[in-house]
This record gives sequence, structure tokens and C-alpha cells, in this order.
Amino acid sequence: MSLKDLRQFPEEEYLSSGHLACAGCGAAIAMRYALKALGEETIVVIPASCWSIVPGVFPHTAFKLTAYHVAFETAASTATGIKAGLEMKGDLGTSVMAWAGDGATFDIGFQALSGAAERNDDFIYVCNDNEAYMNTGTQRSSATPYLAWTTTTPTSAPKMEPKKNIMEIMVAHQIPYAATACVAYPEDFYNKVRKAKEIKGLKFIHLLSTCPTGWRVPSQFSIKVARLAVLTRVFPLYEVEGGERLTINVKPEFRPVRDYLKMQGRFNHLADQDIEAIQQNVEKTWNKLVKRSES
Amino acid sequence: MKKVIEGSHAVSYAVMLSRVQVICAYPITPQTHIVEKLSDLCSTGEMQAKFLKVESEHSAMAGCIGASAVGTRAFTASSSQGLALMHELLHWAAGARLPIVMANVNRSLGAPWNIWCDQTDSLSQRDTGWLQFYCESSQEALDTVIQAYKISEKVSLPSMVVLDAFYLSHTFEPVNIPDRGRVDRFLPPYEPKYRLDPKVPRSFSGLTPPDLFTEMRYQIQEAMEEAKKVILRVDEEFDALFGRRYGLVEGYRLEDAELVLVTSGTAASTARDVIDQYRDDGKPVGLLKVRTFRPFPSEEIRKALKNVSKVAVIDRNISFGMGGIFAEELKSVYGNEEEGPIIFGYIAGLGGRDITRETISGIIEYTFEEDRPKKPSLWPDLRR
Amino acid sequence: MTGVCAASPALCAGSLPAGRQEGAQYQIINHCREAPRCACLSADRRGELHTLFFEAEGRMKQKINLKHLHDIPPISISLGTMLWNETGSWRYLRPKYVVKTPPCNEACPAGNDVEGFMVLARQGKFREAWELIKEESPFPGVCGRVCFHPCESSCNRKEYDEALAIHSVERFVADSQWHTKRVRHAHRIRRKEQIAVIGAGPAGLACAYHLGRMGYGVTVFEAHSAPGGVLRSGIPEYRLPRSIVDHEIQDIQSWGVEIKTNTRVGKDMPFEALKTFQAVFIATGAHESRPLNVDGENLEGVYSGLDLLKRIKGGEKIALGKKVSVIGGGNVAIDVARSALRLGAESVEILYRRSREEMPAFSQEVEEAHREGVKIHFLVSPKKVLGDGGKVTGVECIRMKLAEPDESGRKKAIPVEGSSFSMHTDTLITAIGEASNLGFLPEEIPSREGLIQTDEMGFVHVRGYFAGGDAATLDRTVAVAIGSGKKAALAIHEYLQGSWSTQRFESIRVGSKGTISAKKYFHPPKGEANPPVMTFKEINTDYFEHHGRVSDPSLSLEERRGTFHEIHLGLIPEMVEEETQRCFNCGVCNQCDNCWTFCPDMAVKKKKDHYEIDYDYCKGCGICFVECPRGAILLEEEVR
Repeated sequence: MSLKDLRQFPEEEYLSSGHLACAGCGAAIAMRYALKALGEETIVVIPASCWSIVPGVFPHTAFKLTAYHVAFETAASTATGIKAGLEMKGDLGTSVMAWAGDGATFDIGFQALSGAAERNDDFIYVCNDNEAYMNTGTQRSSATPYLAWTTTTPTSAPKMEPKKNIMEIMVAHQIPYAATACVAYPEDFYNKVRKAKEIKGLKFIHLLSTCPTGWRVPSQFSIKVARLAVLTRVFPLYEVEGGERLTINVKPEFRPVRDYLKMQGRFNHLADQDIEAIQQNVEKTWNKLVKRSES
Repeated sequence: MKKVIEGSHAVSYAVMLSRVQVICAYPITPQTHIVEKLSDLCSTGEMQAKFLKVESEHSAMAGCIGASAVGTRAFTASSSQGLALMHELLHWAAGARLPIVMANVNRSLGAPWNIWCDQTDSLSQRDTGWLQFYCESSQEALDTVIQAYKISEKVSLPSMVVLDAFYLSHTFEPVNIPDRGRVDRFLPPYEPKYRLDPKVPRSFSGLTPPDLFTEMRYQIQEAMEEAKKVILRVDEEFDALFGRRYGLVEGYRLEDAELVLVTSGTAASTARDVIDQYRDDGKPVGLLKVRTFRPFPSEEIRKALKNVSKVAVIDRNISFGMGGIFAEELKSVYGNEEEGPIIFGYIAGLGGRDITRETISGIIEYTFEEDRPKKPSLWPDLRR
Repeated sequence: MTGVCAASPALCAGSLPAGRQEGAQYQIINHCREAPRCACLSADRRGELHTLFFEAEGRMKQKINLKHLHDIPPISISLGTMLWNETGSWRYLRPKYVVKTPPCNEACPAGNDVEGFMVLARQGKFREAWELIKEESPFPGVCGRVCFHPCESSCNRKEYDEALAIHSVERFVADSQWHTKRVRHAHRIRRKEQIAVIGAGPAGLACAYHLGRMGYGVTVFEAHSAPGGVLRSGIPEYRLPRSIVDHEIQDIQSWGVEIKTNTRVGKDMPFEALKTFQAVFIATGAHESRPLNVDGENLEGVYSGLDLLKRIKGGEKIALGKKVSVIGGGNVAIDVARSALRLGAESVEILYRRSREEMPAFSQEVEEAHREGVKIHFLVSPKKVLGDGGKVTGVECIRMKLAEPDESGRKKAIPVEGSSFSMHTDTLITAIGEASNLGFLPEEIPSREGLIQTDEMGFVHVRGYFAGGDAATLDRTVAVAIGSGKKAALAIHEYLQGSWSTQRFESIRVGSKGTISAKKYFHPPKGEANPPVMTFKEINTDYFEHHGRVSDPSLSLEERRGTFHEIHLGLIPEMVEEETQRCFNCGVCNQCDNCWTFCPDMAVKKKKDHYEIDYDYCKGCGICFVECPRGAILLEEEVR
């Protein structure tokens, strides 16, 4: 089956050109597919992030469907309210999708997300993870990977903490569906959003999305580098259904993390032993994941 | 139907009668009875609403914003720390022109911890664009909640209905609980002009450039001004159906008064008693109860205090570095005027300290004695 | 999208369609705060107070101008799109769709659009694939069996896992059309010129085919009793069944080509008789066996390889001896060795004077020979044929060693002193090279060292004469012969029409190895005439999983014994599908949608069979350029 056969995307676009995303923005590509998967009967909830700016300036918008801009940490909590309002209006068909960055998800909006997950509120939460507070100029978040450069973790004082494992945390809430996705695998992301749409309860998708600006990657490699994250097992693609059943979607052959790291300026300062440490960590995490998927 | 109920429950019944559709609930003393009663009413089916047990007040307001944006009637209640936690979203709700109604039980803000009556929490939110109504009785609280939905939905701004902690929230009074059908006649279903509707796809609250932002803010100010008229009109409509009205301010024995006490909340009730006493002694004192703090009823106040020489404002709150907030706002009414009463600002009752008859008498005495206030803020119940 | 007017629909002054409006991308409903009238939105209505916009023909670019306070809605709701913001102005690099030359196309001496027919085959369009091959070569069935497939040697996939089995696919395509009715030639222009072709081998027949298709009258003079040249007489049945050759020659004849067999020019008819033709193409091939020039060469039991192949192909049952020795290292040597095995020889040994690397025979044929049991002795040369009673009994050989390359570029073989030895043999077959017999040519037509001298297109520098095939080059393969026939046909056409330019010739080149395309000649492509050849490093291998090459089903060794049945059985459709999916489609867009999929700005527009970039919005991020698996997009500097 060719890739084209796997990608049964509808032709209709729910975003128009002329938006303000940087050239090569991974989030723009990803949003395009999330919206294709959900269709017109959708309300997108967007907290403070690049996506507050990308659709353009009032009174214009690049969205062709309903979008609600909200305060930073309220993506999940506003989505909860919207869904409740819709249900009270008898509208059970409209999907609600919260689209929040890693800052809004891992850090400031974490409480609201956890609350919504615990209550199993019925909406899709996509965390567009570009691994830092990009909209404010690349400051570190708890999603920033170990040793990555950001303005608040400069090379002289790099980030020593590992990336927060948001998936494990969300899975521990026992939500019906949690999955990772990557902008370089649009068909996989599209299918996951479509799957999520049909499930009742809180669906969490952790999407790795390239920020060429913040990752210091030439824009043309935006997709390639995201793909390498999956192929080097740094960012495995998997789903957890019902809090238990773990399925790995892409099982790549071994490929050194160096291939992924060396494409990005934010990792330029890494010494060989740093890369080795990262490699070992990736191996360990991957093996654990494989084991869990088999049990 | 008349019933002896708690102030909190009066609010709960009002919420039920207003056919609120989404309630976001997070507990904080002394608001908890409001949401507990609502939980009851929802669980028995007496009330058809979604009762969202959110995990913080911030999320409670966010939930209300979401629900209101979709076009459903939303409600939450809070107090003190909880209200303060919501602060950024109070600005947001007003900016988004959402007619959310919230009951706030006036409680002091830490540090240090104190759970008793103090108005600083709600008054700290005065710049947010919310209408604010300060209630003196359980009946007023019930009626104001119902009125607030009508007012808010007309001017597209949220309303805060304020109750004193414990004095009002936890005391029992006989309350006339209106009949549902009549409330329905008074308050039709909520049909907003703009709402989240996939059939009319729009983006809301997008980035607004400098050359448009001023106008959007001006519109809110205009709405606030409009609200004064709307409040009075709604009050009339309410009176026609239920036989009660409250106005923006309420004067008590203002005829030929030379000294007027200005206050709000349950302190007004105590003040009435003291005024009666003084009047019995032939002293020309009166009371002006301020019910609506936002929009600030400058005209009504000016009218009411027209020939009054002295005003004693009793503030159960303080804005540090300035003074009692009602007093300061009142002073600003006369800012550009040449004539006006001399305004004495008194700070009393903070953190649940009773404002007793004695306190009020002391205030009246002092005000009579002094020509001018020695300080911008006077603290009559301060330990020596 | 249509929306419901925010005011009462009853007040709507326009007619709001209920469903989706055709062609409209976005409709805005603006609500006037003062007058509760919704000013709508069909093409000829515009609101007075507000600028209202709708999408017509896919464009809505007007910026909304909220001039007055009352224009501004109370809530910051969107009123229009961002299409006014032509983000193309951000760009400093610009993507462009290009077509590059696939290396297989460059490598094919017959000038086939290999990439083209691979794509069609992958789509199951075998008829179209066959027709595409037939634009360049009349012999897909032949080449799919006997070509040495330089296309596969240059296939970029080779550097990833294994080259595509192009020749197997070509064969499948040809075989799939066995029963297809011939194309009727009703609309063909009939031209008045008549052209003579001498020699009905692959070169002559290819030339005749192309000329016939162009509308010329062609007569092919063939010395032997049947047409085909080396296809008929030189390649064994187990590699190329006669029926295939006959079938494809019949199709050539269907274009009005007349073949006169048993007519040797210079013997059965004088050369001067050709003067009645407007042009002559000489393609007599090379059918003379080179002699060994050693003693004993004329003993009984010594055969010429070429001669033997012809006789076997003619159906003659030849009784060779038991122990056969073959001298030579070319395809003829291999063919005759494998034929000898089938005729019952107990042992067949090839003696070749150079090493394996220098062996000119196709390496696949050499491998098959090995499998079948042919033994090859390298660095051995015959000194003398030994005999007894007039019959061959053995051959005296000397060992050779390799020295500096000679004029042909191959390492020279020199004898090693004192290394003579003798071998038993009862049959000796010589296959050390073929020569052309050019004795029939008039003096004016130049030949040198047994080859007719021509330029690259086949012009002999005597008016009206052209030559090609084995008679004009030492690069002696069927594919080269077919290519030379095609070149000559085009050259003849240009000559007869009175137009000739090197520029024209350059414009039909495919790559830089001498390959030309007839299709390019008749339908000049829109972009660059001869774009650069696509290299492996331009492929984005992320899109291709490693997958081995299909293996050609063939008869087992048991099944081959003693018969001349065709060894290779051909692919089945499932194998063709699997194999053609491996094709990278180097440098040629195959509508994989990747560029459209990954554009963050929706600036890649899908058209029916291609894509277009909307340069108004393309930010020049370059993702399409990197993610095109096959390098069909270039990123160039934006010129402002």
C-alpha cells in the first residue's frame, strides 16, 4: 500500500492561506490535519500560544470554523464549560478540541487538564509540543528536553531536568484514550484525531510539532527533523486505550539519536558524552515501552 | 412561597429559578452552602443543569466563560482567595461580554488567614468590568440574582451579587421564594446575538490591534453607563411582577438630613436602627445604602446627598495606600464640583469584626463633632 | 460556508442560500449594530454601511476596514479572512516544480522512457505502458528478454537496496499486449519519399519502424530467408523465442514496411538499384566469424559459433561431440556454450584469454552459464588445434597474463612463457568476435577497420546515405542497434524535409550518454529540453522502505536439460505491482501528494494531474522541496 493510499485526507481545508505562522511551522501543518479530521462541527479552544497570533488579527481570521481564544491556563477548563453548555443546548454532535502548547499543558494549564481528565470531561485535548515557550521567544518549559538550549537554559546553564513524561501522567488519570503523534506522520495524527472524536470522555494527544525558529532548524527540514524524532525513538508513536492497552504504532529499526540531534541548532553544544547519555536514556525508555506493549 | 432559609440558600433558589444551565462549583468557606444546595437541587432533578465540580476557582470561571460563550446561562460562587484566584478571568469574562452571574460572599483576603466578613475581596475586582450589587438581606440576594441575569444579558456584562460572610450567608431569614412561572415571565431564555455556533463559524477574542482596542473598551464603558438605566428598568419590571424593588441606591430618612451615613451590605441594617435612634432624639441623620457599586451611581448619590453637609462613609474594606474604597469613590463624585458634603471615611468591621450600634454611634458622634476629618481614613474600631 | 444571519433571517434583504455555495470558500455575515439588517452576500449585493466580502472564484482578499465606531462589533468576532495578507512577500527562496532526467532513461540506448512505462505499469495501465515503449522502440518483447539492461545498472534504487527489475517489467508489458489489436494508422500522413533499408536486423527494422510511423514508404532488403538478423539467428531460442521476434516484426510491417527477404544487396540486386530511393539506411550487421588463425582450425569438429547458433535456431539437429570447448568471452561464446549443453554435450568448457572482469558477455548470462554447468577457464588462449584423422582431439593452450590496456581500453593479454598445456576436446567452437562484410559498399561510402563511418545520428557523409547497428559501431548490443535505427530514422526525416540542426538534435537528447527520444522530437516538452540527470542523493529515502527486488521465475536446471524452452517464465501481475512500487520515479512527479500534504500555508494547489504553487502565499519554507521523495521540486532564490 502506498503512502497515498494510507492518507485518505478530505480535500476541504479549514484553514485559509495568509496566516501568520513562521515559514515551515509544524503547528500549522498539524492544525490543518486536526481540523480535517474533525470537520466543520467543531469548536477549537486556543489558549495563549502561537496559535493566538497565527490565525491573524481581529477582525480577520484564517480559521474557517469556530474558534475561541482563551486565557493561558484555561484550555481544558474552558473546553469543559463549552462542552457542558453544548450538552445543555442539546448539541451532542459538535466536537470540542482544546489546542494548547506545551507550556499551557505541562506547566501552567496542568491543573485544569488534570481536573478535566479526572472528571473525564468529553473533549479532545491536543498538546502541540514544540518543547519550549516558543511564542514568547523560546523559554524553557517542563517539556523542554534534557540539555536543550533555550533562552532560560543557555548553553552555560543547560536544562538538567528530563522532559516531563506527560503521557504517563495522563494515562494515570485513566482517561479512555491517550496517544502521541508527530507532525511528520500526518496520516497517523489524522487517524488518531478521528478515533478520538468517536470516543466519549477526555482524549489526550501529545503531538510533537517542529518549531524551526526555536529548534534552530532551517525551515525546509521541519518535517524531516520531526520524523527523525520518531525514527530515532526519541519520540515514540503509541496509543494507550482504556488506560491499559498500549500499542506502538511505528517500530523503527535502531538509528542513533545523533542523527536527530545534529540537525538542530538547539543541540549544537552537546558533547559526545551528552549524546551518549541521551542515547542510553532513549534506549531505556524505548525498551520499557516495548515491554509494556507486549504485556 | 415564604420560607425561612439561609442567605446562601436564597442565592441557590434564585439560581434555580433563573434556570441556570451550567454551574461551576468549587468550595470555599463561606460560599459552600450555596453550591451544596445547588448540588442537591441538581441531583434531585428539581433543577436541570450541569453541575461541574471543577478543581479550582480559576477553572470555575473558565468553565462559566465556556458555557456562557456557547449561549447557556452560567453561574458560580466564590469568596476571598477563590475570587482573587479568578481575577484574570474576571477581566476576561467582561472583555468577552459574557453575562455570567456570580455570587460572592465577602470574606477577607489572607495573609493572614481570616474567614470572616470583609469587602476587600469583591472591591479589589472593581476594575474588571463586572457589575457589582451589594445585598443587605436574603430576599435582596435572591431577587438580585434573578434581576442580575436579566440586566447582564441586556448589557452583555457579567454581574457579581455580593453577600456578607456569615452575617448574610449563614443567617436565616424569612424569604419569599417567587413562583417559577412568574420568574419565567420576568426572565426569558437566554438568546445571545453572538455565540459559539459551528453553523456560524467565527473566531472570538482574536488578537486586537491598537487601532481597534480602544473602541472595544469604550463599548464596555458605554455598556456600564447604559447599565444604570437598565438596572432601574429591570427593577421596575421586577416590582410589577413581584412587588419589590431596590434601585441603585436606597435612601433612609434622608429628608432634611444634615449628616448621612453611607454604607453597604448588612452594616446598612444595623445602621438603620442607629439612625432611628438618632432621629428619635431629633438628630437630622440619614442613611444612604449603596446597592450598586458598579456602575457607580454618581448621579443618584449626588442627588441624594444634595443638601447634606456631612457624609460618613463606613467601609468594610481598604485599598492600602489610599483608604476605604466606597469613601474614595464617593469623594471622586465631587471631584470637579465646587460644592459638596464633607466626606468622612471610616474603616470598620474588617475581618469579621462586628460593626455594632456602638461603633456606628461613635462614628456619627465623631462626624458631628469634627468639622473636617483629621485624616483621610479613620479607624473607629481600632485598638488603642 | 453559509451562515445564519445574526439578525432575524426574516429581515434579510438578500437571498441566503441554504446549502454550501459553489465556489465560495468563506462567507461573512456582518451585523450592523445600528440597523438590525443583515446585509448579505451574493455576488451583486453589498451592504451600505459595512464592507462585506464573499469569496468569488476562490479569492477574497479585501481587508476589512472598520472605519467608524458603529462598524465595530461589541465582541471581537472575526468578520473576514486573512487572504488579504499575501505572505508570498515573506519569501526569499521559491520552490519550483521541475522534471529531471531519470538515470534509467539516460542509460537506455534504445531511448525508452523507462520511468514513464514503470509508472504506467504500476498503475496497471499496461496498454499505455506498451504504447509508450513503442514510441521509442518496436521491440519491447525482445529487449525485455535479451537486453543487458544498462537501465538497471544506473538505477538509483541500486544504492538503496536493489535495482528495479526493469527488463522483467518491460517483458511483462510486451507479453500482456500479445493479443492487442494493432493500432490502426488511419490518420498517419502519407509521405511521398521512399527509403531503402539494407538489413532486417534490430537496427534496420527499428529504422524502418520509425520511418513507417512517420508516413514514409520503406523497403527493407534482407539477405537471409527471414527477417530479424541477430534476433533470428544469433540469440538462442531459450533466451529469445522466434515467435516473439516474428510477432514484433509483424507489427513493424503493419506500418507499411515491406521486407524483401533472400535479397542480398550487391549480389541479388546491385547497389546502384538503391538510387531510386530518396535515402538509404545501411544496417547489415556483423555476421562474419573471426578466424582463430591457428593451426588445425579447419579440422572436422571445429565450428564457428555464429554459424552454429544460426543453424540451431533454424531447427537443425546438430550432433556435437561429448567434450566441447568454446573459445571466446562474448555473448556468442556463452550462448553457444549453453546451447551445446542442451544438445547433449557432457562437458562444455569456455576458454577465455582475459579475466572475468574483462569478459564482454552480459554478467547475468555468465552466471546462468555457470549454474547450468558451463566451466570457464580464464587467462587461457589456444595455440594450436590438435587432431587425429582429420578430427579434433584436443587443443594446445597457453596461459595468459594481463598487462596494460590496449586501444579498446581493455587490459592486454600476453602469453606467459613456458605455460603451455593441452586439453582434450572433441568439439571446438570459435566465438572470438564478429566482423562486418562491407564488400558490397561502393567506394564513396567510407569504412574503416570494418566499420562504416557515421556521425552520431547515423549520417554517412555522402548525401542520402545513413548507417547504424553492428556495421557502424563496436558497441554491439540489440538496444544500441535499436537506438541507432531510431536516430537514423529521425536524421533521414530531417534530411528529407530539408531541415537539419544540431540544436534540434540536442533538444531531443536524454542525458549525456547519446540517448535520444523520438517522443521528445514529436512532442517537445514544455520545460527544459534535457534536464539534469537525477542522482541518488536527491532522493528522500524516508519515504521508501527497504524491499528486495523481485526474482524472475525461471525453469529449474532439470527442466532446462536437453531443451531450448524459454528459461525465464515472466512475472505475474502481483509481482509487477510489487516491483513497480519500488520505483523511485527519479525526478518525475508521480502525484504522491507529499508537497500538498505538508504545505503549512495551503499554497500547493492540486490540479487534475499536477500541482501548482500559489506564489501569493508561499512563504518559501522549502518543506515541499525536502519532502518530495523524488526531487521533482527545486528551491531557487527569489528574485525581487
